[in-house]
Amino acid sequence: MAEFEPKILAFCCNWCSYAGADLAGVSRFQYPPNIRIIRVMCSGRVEPEFVVKALSSGADGVLVLGCHIGDCHYMYGNHRTKKRMAILERILGYLGIDPRRMRLEWVSAAEGARFAEVVTEFTEQIKSLGPNPLKEVRA
Amino acid sequence: MIENIRHLARKWLEAKEVDAIFGLKEQDGYIAPHLFTDASELDNLTISTEYRLCYTCRPLKEDILSLMQGKEPDTRIGIVARGCEERALIELAKRNQLDLDKVKIMGIACTLEEAKECKCEKPYPSNPIIGERVEGVSEDEDVNTLLNKSLPERLEFWRHELSKCIKCYGCRNVCPMCFCKDCKMEQEVFCKTGWLPPEIPMFLFIRWYHISERCIGCGQCEKACPVDIPLLTLFKLLRRDVKDLFDYEAGMDAEQEAPLLTTLDEMPIKEEVPSGV
Repeated sequence: MAEFEPKILAFCCNWCSYAGADLAGVSRFQYPPNIRIIRVMCSGRVEPEFVVKALSSGADGVLVLGCHIGDCHYMYGNHRTKKRMAILERILGYLGIDPRRMRLEWVSAAEGARFAEVVTEFTEQIKSLGPNPLKEVRA
Repeated sequence: MIENIRHLARKWLEAKEVDAIFGLKEQDGYIAPHLFTDASELDNLTISTEYRLCYTCRPLKEDILSLMQGKEPDTRIGIVARGCEERALIELAKRNQLDLDKVKIMGIACTLEEAKECKCEKPYPSNPIIGERVEGVSEDEDVNTLLNKSLPERLEFWRHELSKCIKCYGCRNVCPMCFCKDCKMEQEVFCKTGWLPPEIPMFLFIRWYHISERCIGCGQCEKACPVDIPLLTLFKLLRRDVKDLFDYEAGMDAEQEAPLLTTLDEMPIKEEVPSGV
């Protein structure tokens, strides 16, 4: 049987993480191709519903990437994300969805190597977790 | 107890401390919310566990109290409020839904039986004027059962529970904290129309997440649910989590801002708290 190839969705903020992803590409850092990137203007735009929607629509893992605390282009956008995701993690756990399928990381525009590292590590983690059980729920 | 409430209400009205008393009126065997402006009517003032939180009911998509305050901003209203009702009023005031300065709360403590019936953790208001304060229910069997389950078992459990949902929106309509005029639970993107049961777990997840930090633990949602989905179980856990994460309890302090509306500098997350799984 072929190895499980997870589908991973990443929300990248326009100002840091998306540029970080770009830098990773330009610098030719290798990272697994399982990731699909959606660019958002700020990680604060990512509503927890997006993450749940992604998981119930067939994603095996969701990455939320934003600027480091203090570097947000909109001052406090990532503060909000951090708080929301803390609550989201709890709810996912109680609902029986492994909270490790969702991860919030800060990646700046200068951290191309870190972007590759985060994606590689997260992909490995999702591979070890296996396919998302929520997928089957969909009729 | 009810005599004391009527007596105090009469005193407030006659001393012009308030212009009106908002409470439940009993007439011909029926109970309904009523605004008492005349002291002679107060013999019909009553309390009931079945009609809790009538102060936040929404006949026209807007809280009845906000509607009244919108029309008559200067009227001082006295309210007979249980613990949950007071918390609801405070939490709504925090979100600019009503003006707490114009409201005078007559706090009443619930009895032990009433607390048990509601699985209430705090069956008393901040300053109970009437009734004896009893401790609430601290251990909830449903909560412990859920926590003892493994992740796949939890998913199986919720899959079963949520598949019963008939999308009646009862939990949302009865919730004192759900006051948005445009509700995400009605948006096509998140909850497709014509799907029954609604998307698992999206439909109820929206409510759990949105109400997480402001849930006052009144349990109205669970009582309203026609198919008995244990909504309160998760809300209880979330109330506990919000307390652990942000040291915040909904409906306690009108001055304290809500965690999701503040920055990390104003209200930090306590990192050391484990994620509960």
